[in-house]
Amino acid sequence: MEMKKVPLTKQKWFQVLFWILFIIVAWEVGASVVAVTKRTPENVMPHLYQILAAAFSTKPVSSGMSATMVVLTSARATLLRAFGGFLLGAALGFVFALLMQMSKAVEKMIFPYLMLIQLIPVLGLAPIVLAITGDINKSRIIIAAILSFYPVANNTLAGFKSVSKERYELMATYAAKKYQIYGKVLIPAASPYFFTGLKIAAPLAVTASILVDTLQGDGGLGCMLSQSLKHAMSIYVFWLIVFFSAFVGIFSTYLISFIEFITSPAKRAAWNGRSLEKKHRRAAMKAARKEYRKEKEDGRDLISQTCSENKA
Amino acid sequence: MANAVMERSAQTMDVESKEVEIRVDHLGVTFQDNEGNDVQALTNVNLTVHKGEFVSLLGPSGCGKTTLLRCVADLQEPTEGEIKVGGKTPREIRMAQKFGFVFQQPVLFDWRTVKKNVELPLEMMYQTKERRSKRADEMLEMVGLTNFANHYPGQLSGGMQQRVNIARALGIRPDILLMDEPFSALDEFTKEKLHEDLLRIWSKTNKTILFVTHNIQEAVFLSDRVCVLSPHPGRLSAIVDITLPRPRTLDMRETPEFNELVRQVRDSFEGGSL
Repeated sequence: MEMKKVPLTKQKWFQVLFWILFIIVAWEVGASVVAVTKRTPENVMPHLYQILAAAFSTKPVSSGMSATMVVLTSARATLLRAFGGFLLGAALGFVFALLMQMSKAVEKMIFPYLMLIQLIPVLGLAPIVLAITGDINKSRIIIAAILSFYPVANNTLAGFKSVSKERYELMATYAAKKYQIYGKVLIPAASPYFFTGLKIAAPLAVTASILVDTLQGDGGLGCMLSQSLKHAMSIYVFWLIVFFSAFVGIFSTYLISFIEFITSPAKRAAWNGRSLEKKHRRAAMKAARKEYRKEKEDGRDLISQTCSENKA
Repeated sequence: MANAVMERSAQTMDVESKEVEIRVDHLGVTFQDNEGNDVQALTNVNLTVHKGEFVSLLGPSGCGKTTLLRCVADLQEPTEGEIKVGGKTPREIRMAQKFGFVFQQPVLFDWRTVKKNVELPLEMMYQTKERRSKRADEMLEMVGLTNFANHYPGQLSGGMQQRVNIARALGIRPDILLMDEPFSALDEFTKEKLHEDLLRIWSKTNKTILFVTHNIQEAVFLSDRVCVLSPHPGRLSAIVDITLPRPRTLDMRETPEFNELVRQVRDSFEGGSL
């Protein structure tokens, strides 16, 4: 019995580690080159340890706050609005998808034009929204909602459309009412698609909110970002914000995957099944190895035995 | 055992005197193909199915056997003729939730456990949670899946999924079970097991079953009567009485009587393409 081992390059942890190491090495190589070729290397590509040092330094950079404190307080202003806009956009996206599913007329009226929203550059849209609302917080929420809306609406509608003819017919043979078909078939079937939409929308909402910040000078990640770039405060605030928002963007997607996992018992069961399978496979492999070793030893015994017998 | 055999064969003998469950009268179905030409899926079909009878609709693909079944289930409108089920229209029977329909694919809902899948049609009937749960447990026991009640469909084999499908259809206590090639996607071993299961369940519940298949052996083994349909245009070309005694066992497939009936059914196809 031979057991194949999963090669190292195909294991998830190895892939993650590989990319993290790759990025660190590439960054450091770049930073070393920049350090000797540019006049202000910290503006272009500082060493990672410099950024880390800035993160942990307590030296005040702006109105008595350290760089990390500046990032965290402005992040609170930005991310709260991003989250609000995300929820609003996601809810609207779901409702619109439902309306389009319920009525062919609504779908024909709305769907082709939905994409237009996606095509208008946010950079152009944001100042208009700010001028209309006159409030940076409302603008953050609205722009984040606009960007979240489309992926959620589009994916959820695709989820409704994914329901097969057989499922409708099965429900017809039970004389199911319309609301029962929506509640028991369409919405559960669209749920994974809805979550896919959320996963796309979440980092978009964060980006949108940061972008709106840059328009006005009263706090927020985007505002600090541009001030730091204009040397109103330490340039490391800029670098901290870059890394921080990248982290928040990635984290938001994983958070939604996690929420989906928690709320979907079928997914959990599949995952449990897989991990159980892995456990069994590992146990089987261990047993096989043990057997192999034993066979080898027995074989050796046999050989030495026959040798000694021959000698005798 | 011997008693049961006598009883069933007696039933098949005087089937004429039994109550009529489904009456198909001069049924015709015409639909348009992609180029807009009329295609006759079925023409002039007359058929009477009695209460408690197991009738197969047998034929090659394109003969309209599934169309006939779908018309009975009110999933499709006939263009000519009419169908009466227990004296009522198929729609009335469907709205009264008296049909159990088993599709070729199991059509299970992957976000529901096996038990919740069986409970689904009972939810449509507004049954209480306790009654649903009790009924689903009974049904799963009948198809031998009690230990898998809390599994999800994705964790089951094709044969097990089809058994859940049958359990779900029977859960609503339908008067009539309509089955559309339910075993055609399964391997031979699973199929034989499910044939026995189906006959056992049928003899216990005494439902009327209308069973669509393209497998001659399957039709002969299961049915009281085999309706042979021929294509172009789809029509009922023969009805063969299956006189094999009940309960049927897998060894019967080896007997000369069985092979004679299979030959008789095969000979009754029109068009000679078989």
